Amino acid sequence: MTAPGGPRLEAEGLARTFGAQRAVDGVSFRLDPGCVLSLLGPNGAGKTTLLRILAGGLRPSEGVVRLGGEALDTRSPEWQSRVGVLSHQGFLYGHLTARENLRFYADLYDLDDASDRVEAGLDSVELTPRGNDEVRTFSRGMKQRLALARTLLHEPDVVLLDEPYTGLDAHAAAVLRGVLETLRDGARTVILVTHNLTEGLELADRVAIQVRGRWVVDAPSAQFDAATIHDRYREVVEGAGGGAP
Amino acid sequence: MKGYLGQLGAVVRKDLTQELRTRQRLATMGAFTVLVGVLFNFSVDPALVSMQDIAAGLIWLTLIFAGVMGVGRTFSLEAEDGAFQGVLLSPIPRDALYLGKVAANVVLVSVVVALIVGVFGLFFQLDYGAHPLALALTLFCGVVGFVALATLFGAVTAGTTLGESLLPVLLFPLLVPMVVYGVGATNRLLMGRPLTEVEGNIRILGAFAVAAVAVGAGLFRHVVED
Repeated sequence: MTAPGGPRLEAEGLARTFGAQRAVDGVSFRLDPGCVLSLLGPNGAGKTTLLRILAGGLRPSEGVVRLGGEALDTRSPEWQSRVGVLSHQGFLYGHLTARENLRFYADLYDLDDASDRVEAGLDSVELTPRGNDEVRTFSRGMKQRLALARTLLHEPDVVLLDEPYTGLDAHAAAVLRGVLETLRDGARTVILVTHNLTEGLELADRVAIQVRGRWVVDAPSAQFDAATIHDRYREVVEGAGGGAP
Repeated sequence: MKGYLGQLGAVVRKDLTQELRTRQRLATMGAFTVLVGVLFNFSVDPALVSMQDIAAGLIWLTLIFAGVMGVGRTFSLEAEDGAFQGVLLSPIPRDALYLGKVAANVVLVSVVVALIVGVFGLFFQLDYGAHPLALALTLFCGVVGFVALATLFGAVTAGTTLGESLLPVLLFPLLVPMVVYGVGATNRLLMGRPLTEVEGNIRILGAFAVAAVAVGAGLFRHVVED
């Protein structure tokens, strides 16, 4: 069942309810390794909730997630060791150095070659010269670059990115974009949640639009250009009574 | 098992490194301990009350109050930049995470207990000479039992709107057995009574500590996960 280069990510009927509210409502998809999916949608559409389910931070009320054909509990260590998450929060400790932060996470993921991976991670986001500085002295962009290194430290099969560009300066955004480009190596699947339609379209092989917990669009990105993605988005979101991107 | 211990050790190292850099909790607990010693020194008339008689109770209550101030902040310190969420998204077994936090907190509270013993010994002229090792063992069992429960309930209260102010309300009733046997043993040791009189108390304190750690390790997952 494993596709060349990495395992296929599948979800079937994923749902999550909070009381009477269905934040995620029957989401199903199948993503081949190497695929970058941009998940778009208005505020409150349930995108972050879906990402939290896939990250293992929230138990789904219904549905199943498969990786390489194997149904996995997203709260299990087996799943969590194969998923990397980058959100607008870096999950970093301000009073630890950049190197210590990465080493801490390398140990949590029980990586054998932790020291080498930490150095490679720092190098990949151009932070080697600041490796021994405490993270609280870093700018927002540097923290986000370090968070990206943390996300990829254990070479996850599935990378989940929740608004990774929020608050980044041009240089940090360029570094982040460069690293994301390297993720198109055919070995991993990337899901990018963003409000920026153009950016989401540029990076993606597929685009999905989630409104009120449901995927109302799921199509190859080649079907859209910068103009048509806005038109399509406005059409489905306004049609469903959703908000602005 | 090597992976488990490595993950546990990473949590201990991280917590202690953070504390060594910030000294937030140690400074608070240490200042509280010294102030309590000073205040009791002036509030008790040694002509009427022997300090040796009440020292055991003061030691244990100071341990608990100072400990709550420090251990209660374990999880609020993790909230910065969502760091604890990142830890929970990693594959570290939840009991390893809990035991790592307990181990780090035991180190911190043990430092404070050493300060308590020093400060109270200085102010109240206490004689620890008769059975210092038995006294150390008694206090250590108390520290482990206290920290095990305080760390678990610290995780519970960190997710509530009342936060750390709720911790004593939940925690203190569960500490009653520990205080009863701990104060009893400490009192006798400070009085220079034979070890045979306190062996039972120390065994019960040890059992309390082991039970508290086991219960905490078993329940922690349910406390921190959705």
